[in-house]
Amino acid sequence: MAPAVSTLIKPEAGAEWSGEGVSMNEVLAALKDIRTKFALAETQETELPHPRNCIMTLIAVASSDQEERRAQRAVRAIGNHHPAQVIVVRDQPGPRTGKMDATITTDIMRPQSSCAMQCEVITLRVQGSMGDHLSGLIDPLLQSGVPNYLWWVGTPAFGKKELDDTLKICDALLVDSARFDAPYRSFLDLTKLATHSHQRLGVADLAWARLEPWRENVAQFFSPADRQPFLKGITDIGVDYSGEGRGNRVAAAQLIGWLSSALGWKLQKAAAGTGGIVVAHFGADGWRPVQVAFRSMPKTHLAQGEISAIRIEGGAGGRTFKLTVMRDPERARTVRPEVGAGGYSPLHNAGGEDDAGLEIAQRKVEWHRDVLDENAEQLHHTATGDLPGENTPQRPAVFVRERRGQDNARVLLTLIEIGEGAPLRHIQQVDPEDEATLLLDLLSHGTQDKVFGRSLAAAAELMAAI
Amino acid sequence: MTAVAAPNPLAEGLHDYRVGEPCIMVIFGATGDLSGRKLLPALYNLAKQRLLPAGFAVVGAAIDDLTDDAFRKHASEKIAEFSRTQPIDQRVLDAFLSGCFYNKVDFGKLDDFKALQRRLGELDTTRHVSGNRMFYCATPPPTYETIVEQLKAAGMATGTGFHRIVVEKPFGSDLKSARELTEILQRVFHEDSVYRIDHYLGKETVQNIMAFRFANAIFEPVWNSNFIDSVQITVAEEIGVEGRGAYYDKAGALRDIVQNHALQLVALVAMEPPLAFEANAVRDEKVKVLRAIRSITDEQVARATVRGQYAKGWVLGQQVGAYRDEQHVAQGSLTETFAVLRLEIDNWRWANVPFYIRAGKRMPKRVTEIRIQFKRPPHMTFGPEATQELDPNAITLRIQPEEGISLRFGAKVPSAGLRIRSVTMDFQYMTAFLVETPEAYERLLLDCMIGDPTLFTRADEVEAAWRLIDPIEAAWRDDRPPLATYPSGTWGPPAADKLLQQDGREWHRP
Repeated sequence: MAPAVSTLIKPEAGAEWSGEGVSMNEVLAALKDIRTKFALAETQETELPHPRNCIMTLIAVASSDQEERRAQRAVRAIGNHHPAQVIVVRDQPGPRTGKMDATITTDIMRPQSSCAMQCEVITLRVQGSMGDHLSGLIDPLLQSGVPNYLWWVGTPAFGKKELDDTLKICDALLVDSARFDAPYRSFLDLTKLATHSHQRLGVADLAWARLEPWRENVAQFFSPADRQPFLKGITDIGVDYSGEGRGNRVAAAQLIGWLSSALGWKLQKAAAGTGGIVVAHFGADGWRPVQVAFRSMPKTHLAQGEISAIRIEGGAGGRTFKLTVMRDPERARTVRPEVGAGGYSPLHNAGGEDDAGLEIAQRKVEWHRDVLDENAEQLHHTATGDLPGENTPQRPAVFVRERRGQDNARVLLTLIEIGEGAPLRHIQQVDPEDEATLLLDLLSHGTQDKVFGRSLAAAAELMAAI
Repeated sequence: MTAVAAPNPLAEGLHDYRVGEPCIMVIFGATGDLSGRKLLPALYNLAKQRLLPAGFAVVGAAIDDLTDDAFRKHASEKIAEFSRTQPIDQRVLDAFLSGCFYNKVDFGKLDDFKALQRRLGELDTTRHVSGNRMFYCATPPPTYETIVEQLKAAGMATGTGFHRIVVEKPFGSDLKSARELTEILQRVFHEDSVYRIDHYLGKETVQNIMAFRFANAIFEPVWNSNFIDSVQITVAEEIGVEGRGAYYDKAGALRDIVQNHALQLVALVAMEPPLAFEANAVRDEKVKVLRAIRSITDEQVARATVRGQYAKGWVLGQQVGAYRDEQHVAQGSLTETFAVLRLEIDNWRWANVPFYIRAGKRMPKRVTEIRIQFKRPPHMTFGPEATQELDPNAITLRIQPEEGISLRFGAKVPSAGLRIRSVTMDFQYMTAFLVETPEAYERLLLDCMIGDPTLFTRADEVEAAWRLIDPIEAAWRDDRPPLATYPSGTWGPPAADKLLQQDGREWHRP
């Protein structure tokens, strides 16, 4: 579900400290000093210092300036909502060893009727071999009794000691597989890590959180009791994604991995089809064979690898169905309104290329369509000689040209077609892409997600096959 | 008949996935205050959170002669004014409004209901809704009977899909009228399809009382008369009657707040663990508590209750008038704006633990909280001098405005000597969870669409509450105890303090 909009307490800048070429002991001493001063400053005359109200430690590991900026932005945003302790480690190669540059910044939140809270952001810039021993730097800073989340901002150092050691002191690893270097290989590494890591370790992927609106819409379609038989009647699925190459199919594979693992489908085979389309075939006892086509579709507003559409088709109980969910849906680009089977749009002048002209033309077309529709049987009889009611003429379709907004990339359009009925349009908005929001989403729902785990495994199998 | 949906395998693992089947929600009184302030904004926010299924439609039904477009304009204005999330997302709003329709309905005219039925049938086809209906009576209670009868006569309460009716509190004004209302509703709808909405139960923190008690092993062992000394429930408002004088002067604090909100809080604090968080299991346990509350007899009413009415005074730095000076309030009104009850629950768990309820208007601030006061240790190891600043342990469940829980316990003051004083360990919802709590109506409308009545009041709960309130109400109408006045901006008349003092206790100041 989309996270609700949050009321934010405006933070005040608190104490700061920084040091170059410092040791860990100096950082710890500075931190202790800041905490003591804060506690005393907030203590009223008759009260003792309030206990710290810290709900997690978030550790972000960055390996470039850009990653560090992203980490700082996201963790500060989270800290402003919640009293967290945040550690940002900038791991950079270099000749110096044993020393680091560090800064501590604090934000103070004052809720209306309770004690003030302090969010601490500790930034450690380490060089050389010190970066190989991250767990030794982080461990002394951790708060007892609250969960520790490790957010590896870029591509984690899969298979390396620095990652393995750090994971031993953390409860969960957060990554964004959509930002991995060498995404195909890294995604398989992530799957391996998730499968083989110790049971307590949660693994969460921001790319998986981005799939939630897609999963919701697909699940929602099959929820009503009279549509549940459609699940076993699925025959064709198409997934469109932005960008080319197998690395950009990761999100699409995760979505299909989710579907196949939830419905118990087994991958039969996969092969490249025509026009750059890759096709996978699934099967399961008691189910119809399912064909899934992965298609790369260029989309200006979407990032590489993002899903732009999913179509699920099939039939059951004598009814056909088609569910289409589209992100950033394409609109008719022609100047004149397009009219479907009837093809009578040329009869109506568009009345100019501005919105008003198009609207007038559209209304004329709709009126024309309605007149034809109301008299369809008689016209059909005139045209074909069939008796009225003998053959049901097809309803002409009208495609409405819509004005494309700047923020169209956030639109999620669902089209539902069941039987012969006209398609039902359902428009939703996805939330603006924002790392802090996605992180909050993952953190608020926990990082032990067995559906993610099994979808990841199924997606990895699929990725390896295609 | 409603087809029973099997668990959807695709819904597993979707956080907070609670989406009902596509349905049409008919709002009777759609142009009224409740619809504009609460229902339409709540539906918009559900749409914004992607919690409304494709095909969901709202049909406004009221006496005003409006077109679909005029209703959409009305809805749009109300949403812009009252939505909890701002600014309004125009695209979400447009999409929501495209599923809003309007039919003029005079509740007295069957033909209007038949026309409404035809409209709903058309929408079923175009929006792939399988006959599912949710009728929301956002109208005064006297209209419920007419609406229900007309729904039946127009054949709108049966057919394929579910048919649910939602009614707002008050559910009657005494036991007799509550029973009559139930009988009216049950003539047409099965009790399972009747959703009596008390928005209080939709509040996250009210629901959290159950989570706090039954999801934690450390509290339940001490949650009984062996350890708990008393329970105080405060439901205080700083506002006066705010234009509701005509209604309030007939109802008073006892019927307006105590009969529903306060007794629901008592039930949630005192109930036994239900077998599951499932509608009937939860409501069965709540009813047991309400039935176990000892009736306040005619003889006890003066000792176990206090009633008061606010006089002029100062609230939050503003001078305010007396209750009797409010609009639509009778000049010599004896209606109480403040009520205190001392209740006892006759069961094993709560024997001899008094539950004090305090509800009032024009109090110093708006606050709702439950304070669980624990007994002192059986032996004070540290002696009276070291513990003179030590209060008994207490757990405070804060419902509003700053939702949270705090635990008060003793700690040694850092010094060479031995001095123990009380400190507070505080948990705040706003900061501890990473999402904001939804508005109560959003939760409750969604529950109704899904068909989960856990947070709605069942007929026997309503009746059990009235059974308790009726004798008190009767005595109060007889001026026993006499009505006291209190200056606005204070915690009620002195009699409220005396009631606790006679038990050797005092009110916790929220």
